[in-house]
Amino acid sequence: MNWTRFLEAPSSFCICRVDFFSDCVYYVSDAEMNRHLCAWLFRHSSLNGARQCHLHPQSHQFTQIHLDTRLWIFRQNRTPILHHLLNKNCPRRYCHQSKMLWKHKALQKYMEDLNKEYRTLDECLQRMSVNEGDRKSLNRRHAELAPLAAIYQEIQEAEQAIEELDSMCKSLNKQDEKQLQELALEERQTIAQKINMLYSELFQSLVPKEKYDKNDVILEVTSGRTTGGDICQQFTREIFDMYQNYSSYKNWKFELLNYTPADYGGLHHAAARISGDSVYKHLKYEGGIHRVQRIPEVGLSSRMQRIHTGTMSVIVLPQPDEVDVKVDPKDLRIDTFRAKGAGGQHVNTTDSAVRLVHIPTGLVVECQQERSQIKNKEIALRVLRARLYQQIIEKDKCQQQSTRKLQVGTRAQSERIRTYNFTQDRVTDHRIAYEVRDIKVI
Amino acid sequence: MPQTWSATGLQSLRRGASLRPRHPFQSLRPVLWTQPLTPRQLQCVQELSSRRLQRMPVQYILGEWDFQGLSLKMVPPVFIPRPETEELVEWVLEEVAQSPCAMGAQGGPLILEVGCGSGAIALSLLSQLPQSRVIAVDKGEAAICLTQENAQRLQLLDRIQIVPLDVTLEGSWAHLLTWGPMDLVVSNPPYIFHRDMEQLAPEIRSYEDPLALDGGEEGMDIITYILALAPWLLKDSGSIFLEVDPRHPELVGSWLQSRPDLSLDLVAVRRDFCGRSRFLHIRRSGAQRGCPADAWPWPLPARVPG
Repeated sequence: MNWTRFLEAPSSFCICRVDFFSDCVYYVSDAEMNRHLCAWLFRHSSLNGARQCHLHPQSHQFTQIHLDTRLWIFRQNRTPILHHLLNKNCPRRYCHQSKMLWKHKALQKYMEDLNKEYRTLDECLQRMSVNEGDRKSLNRRHAELAPLAAIYQEIQEAEQAIEELDSMCKSLNKQDEKQLQELALEERQTIAQKINMLYSELFQSLVPKEKYDKNDVILEVTSGRTTGGDICQQFTREIFDMYQNYSSYKNWKFELLNYTPADYGGLHHAAARISGDSVYKHLKYEGGIHRVQRIPEVGLSSRMQRIHTGTMSVIVLPQPDEVDVKVDPKDLRIDTFRAKGAGGQHVNTTDSAVRLVHIPTGLVVECQQERSQIKNKEIALRVLRARLYQQIIEKDKCQQQSTRKLQVGTRAQSERIRTYNFTQDRVTDHRIAYEVRDIKVI
Repeated sequence: MPQTWSATGLQSLRRGASLRPRHPFQSLRPVLWTQPLTPRQLQCVQELSSRRLQRMPVQYILGEWDFQGLSLKMVPPVFIPRPETEELVEWVLEEVAQSPCAMGAQGGPLILEVGCGSGAIALSLLSQLPQSRVIAVDKGEAAICLTQENAQRLQLLDRIQIVPLDVTLEGSWAHLLTWGPMDLVVSNPPYIFHRDMEQLAPEIRSYEDPLALDGGEEGMDIITYILALAPWLLKDSGSIFLEVDPRHPELVGSWLQSRPDLSLDLVAVRRDFCGRSRFLHIRRSGAQRGCPADAWPWPLPARVPG
């Protein structure tokens, strides 16, 4: 048995150490190691998307781990208590049992405090002696804490029930009533299971959600510049098709905003709006530069049978709700093909391209996808809002000095995030040094 | 083929070719870009392209075009709806939504459209105001037929009356009163200045009906007729919505001032998405004129034409 790689996940997650082999696909020697691996892979299943990891562990391990993997994704700067807990208890290994975590005093105290806060907020809001501005923020906090408090309540009740059952069991023992005892034990079992479930729910709600996770996204792909041949464009097309298939696999709505093919059959750049459940959460790590290395089978580059390298970039922009970004019509300058001349009855063109220029920031958005100029204008406005939103997010991030290494939006990144190597049949994600074999299946 | 295209310098051909998502022979679906066309498809593309080379407007080649989300049949020489007109419809819808008094006894507003052409304005108003009724008039026979056909395609025949009518003919519109006083008059009348007609693109000049475009010396001819007959047909505070040339707001304003007998006020001017003053809202003020039969400005002929 050979530990040849020691891996650390990016600092946005808790330090998670997983040992795995670089050569073969996840052979593990013992159950414990297996659990580490499954947990880590499961957590990253959102990164993989349509790609499936080939694993040869015992499959039943997965179901157990499911509950525990939630522990892995706490943010360092948001929940110091939990992080501290995790580090303190298990420096080299992590406590997998959520129950063990629950029993920890610090967590209990934290929950008590939250509960108290919830109750005081309740009273406060009922008294109605608070002014409007405060009320809104109090309301929000109240809404946030409500599910936590509810789960906490349930856990308390369940634990109480178990205590009662325990005492009943003891008293029954004395009287030797086997049947009743069995019933009591059964009930205790079910309640214990319920408690476990509640713990996991609690942890799930405690984990702070990423701010923009539930948003829809605008996904843009652009092929890189090539020294010759069209490998980039072909690759861009395949990747775009892949995202399209992925979103139908996930039952998301995929709305084409822009599709500009390249001269010889590939794709130059394209944009789509993907809406559905937690789209941003799943796609946010896709942003950045993707590199491909392969011997192309189709297109111009296939004449010479040697390895070509190409790049393409993916940008994922979370889409704001209407209220998040306000665009003042006075700040916009709209250019259209009908703008020349008198327009109206004087002109009959089918060129419905619209270009919006946002004067204060200098952002320019074009759209010519639809037949109707009005629709094009709406689409362009939507994209403009998303880009403005992106700018606001970037500003926020800089201000907060976040340590997360999300590589969204800035195509200026010369760092490759992912390499697809077809000849060696592997996909490497450079940020987490994660490799997957068997590209054909992917 | 490429040589002939460059000879005519038609840049828009390629763009026009890609704007046919519903056309049977081409689609934006990426997969079709990689498959070769069948001989039949090639032949059709050739045919369509040759028509385009003769400067036929794309809408006539395809035989259909969109307006406000509706798909309308297009047949030469009936006037092709312009994208600006979609904003006219939007404005009318906004006003109807804001004024509850625009609802007649039977529910929706009763709207008169002068110069319906392909029926674009009438049908989009009908489809977005489910309680409304429209009287659509036009002087061209082809337009009447096309509006009829489009109304049938969209199954709106039950709420539309399509009447062949020339509003410039004396007393021709009298029988419209049988449907009762109207809430709104909407129109995209011919408003091009006669001297500008020569400078129109060949697509428009050769294929679209010049009568649907030429508005006389100052483009005001049809507009003045509409404004003159409106007070007879409109209810109190009824409105007129017009699409006009950017030079018209001033001209219309001063014309209305010279005709105080009409009791019409220019209430608002709206710009299109290119920033040009394109739309006028004129409101009728003052009580409904007395029994129209006594006070028509023109003598009634024995038989009402049309």
